[in-house]
Amino acid sequence: MWALAHTFALAFVYWIAFKIIMRLDMPNYSVYLVTAMFPWAWLAVGAIGGARSFVGNAPLVKEMGVAHVIFPLSNVMQEMMHFVFALPVVIAWVVLAGGYPPSVSWLWQIPVMILLQVAFVYPIALGCALANAYVRDIEPLLGIGFSLLFFATPMVYPLSIVPQPLHGYLELNPLHALMQSWRSVFMQGALDLPLMALAGGFALAAGAVAWLLYRKLAPRVGEVV
Amino acid sequence: MTPALMCEDLWKTYQRHRAIGVKSLLLGADTPRETRFSREWALSEVGFEVPRGRSFGVIGPNGSGKTTLLSILLGTVQEDRGRVSLNGRVASLLELGAGFHGDLTGRENVFLYGSILGMRLAEVRQRFDRIAEFSELEDAIDTPLRTYSAGMVARLGFSTIINSPAEILLIDEVLAVGDTRFQAKCHQALREFRARQGTLVIVSHNMKELNEVCDEGICLELGRVVDAGPIARVVVRYQERMAAMAPGKAAGGAPGNR
Repeated sequence: MWALAHTFALAFVYWIAFKIIMRLDMPNYSVYLVTAMFPWAWLAVGAIGGARSFVGNAPLVKEMGVAHVIFPLSNVMQEMMHFVFALPVVIAWVVLAGGYPPSVSWLWQIPVMILLQVAFVYPIALGCALANAYVRDIEPLLGIGFSLLFFATPMVYPLSIVPQPLHGYLELNPLHALMQSWRSVFMQGALDLPLMALAGGFALAAGAVAWLLYRKLAPRVGEVV
Repeated sequence: MTPALMCEDLWKTYQRHRAIGVKSLLLGADTPRETRFSREWALSEVGFEVPRGRSFGVIGPNGSGKTTLLSILLGTVQEDRGRVSLNGRVASLLELGAGFHGDLTGRENVFLYGSILGMRLAEVRQRFDRIAEFSELEDAIDTPLRTYSAGMVARLGFSTIINSPAEILLIDEVLAVGDTRFQAKCHQALREFRARQGTLVIVSHNMKELNEVCDEGICLELGRVVDAGPIARVVVRYQERMAAMAPGKAAGGAPGNR
C-alpha cells in the first residue's frame, strides 16, 4: 500500500518539477512518468532489498540452512506483487488520464514483460546479496548507484530532448531498454522487440555473472553474514 | 547398516579478518595471533559416527568448535577438508528464535517454522495440535511471538522440531532456558525420539542433561577431539579437566595461590 503511494508521490513531484516548473513540452508527460516509475520501483527496491536479504536474514541463513537462492528471490517477488497491485492504478491512469485505448493484447504482453523484468532484476538482486554478505558497503552504495542511474536513464525526461552525442550511450542503457519496453506496452499496445532483446541480453549476462558469483561466494555466506 | 550421521577427518578454518568493509579491503588487517577464540583451525581432525537411534553429546569449553561442528553438519558452514554424510531428514534448533518472526503469533510461527523445516502445509496442520499441546503455551499460542519470554520461544521451537518428521535432530544449547519441568519433558521426548530410531546430536553445558539423554559423546578442545566414548565417562573426565583449570587451581599452583 505505502509502496504504491510512495511511487505515486515521486511521480507527482517530478510532474510538478518538470511539467509545471520547467515547462517541459511533452504531451502526456504524466503517463510517460507513471508507466516507467512502477517498473523502476520494482527494480530498485527489489535489488536494494535483495542486497540486504542474506545479512537481514542471518539467523535463517546460519541456523536453518535455508537454500540461499530463496532470499533475494523473495524480495524480487515481493516487489513484483507491489507492481501487480499497482497495475490496475497504472492502467486506469493510462486510460483515463492519458486517453490511451485499453488494449486486449495487454493480457499477454504484460505477463511477458513481467517475466522479462523478473529475469532482469533477480540476477542483480542475487549478485548484490552475495557481494553484500562479504562487503557490507554494497547496500548503501547501491542506493547511491540507483539514484544516479535514475537520472542517467530517460525516466523523467524523454530521450528526444537529450543532446545528440549522448543519445548513443543512453540507447545502449539496458535500464532504458527495459523501461521503454514497458512504456511501449502501455502507450502503444506493442512489444518493442529490439529493446526487449537488449534488456533480455543484459538479463542473460547478469544471470551469468550472478551464477559465477554464486558458485564462488555462496558456500561461505553462512560464515560471513 | 549405514550410520545416520558420519563425519571423517573434518578440518575447518575461518578467515580471521573478515572483509566487512571497503576500508579493511583497502588497508588490509593486522596479522592474526593464535588464541583460544582466534586460531588457525577452528576444527581439526574431527571424526565420529552416530548410528541410527543413538544420541550423541558434544561438550567442550566456549570457543572449542562445537557450534562450528553443528553448522557443518547442518550444511550452513562448509568444511575445508574431510567428509560429512547425513542419512535422513534433518531439523535443527541452533539458535533461539531462528526461523521465527516476532510479529506473527505462536500458531503462525509453527506454520512458518514447519515450512522452513521442510514440512508440507498438511503435515503441519496434522501435527499442530500435538505441537501446541507439547508447548503448554495454551492461549499464548495466539499472541505475537515478540511478547514471549525466551523460555516460551524455546518451548515453541522445541515442540515444533520434536513433532516434525525429522530423523536427525541437531540441538545447540537451547533447552537451558526452559524451566526444570519442561526440560525434563524435553528429555523424555528426546528419549522417545531415540526409541523411534531418531538420531540426535546435542551440544550442551548441562552435564546432567547429557547424561540423561545421550549414549555417547565427544569432548572438543581448541577444535580437536580430546575425548570420545560413552557419555558418562566423557563427562567425568571433562569435569576433572575443567576443575584442574579452575581459577585459583592453576596447573601446579596450590589452591588459593596466585
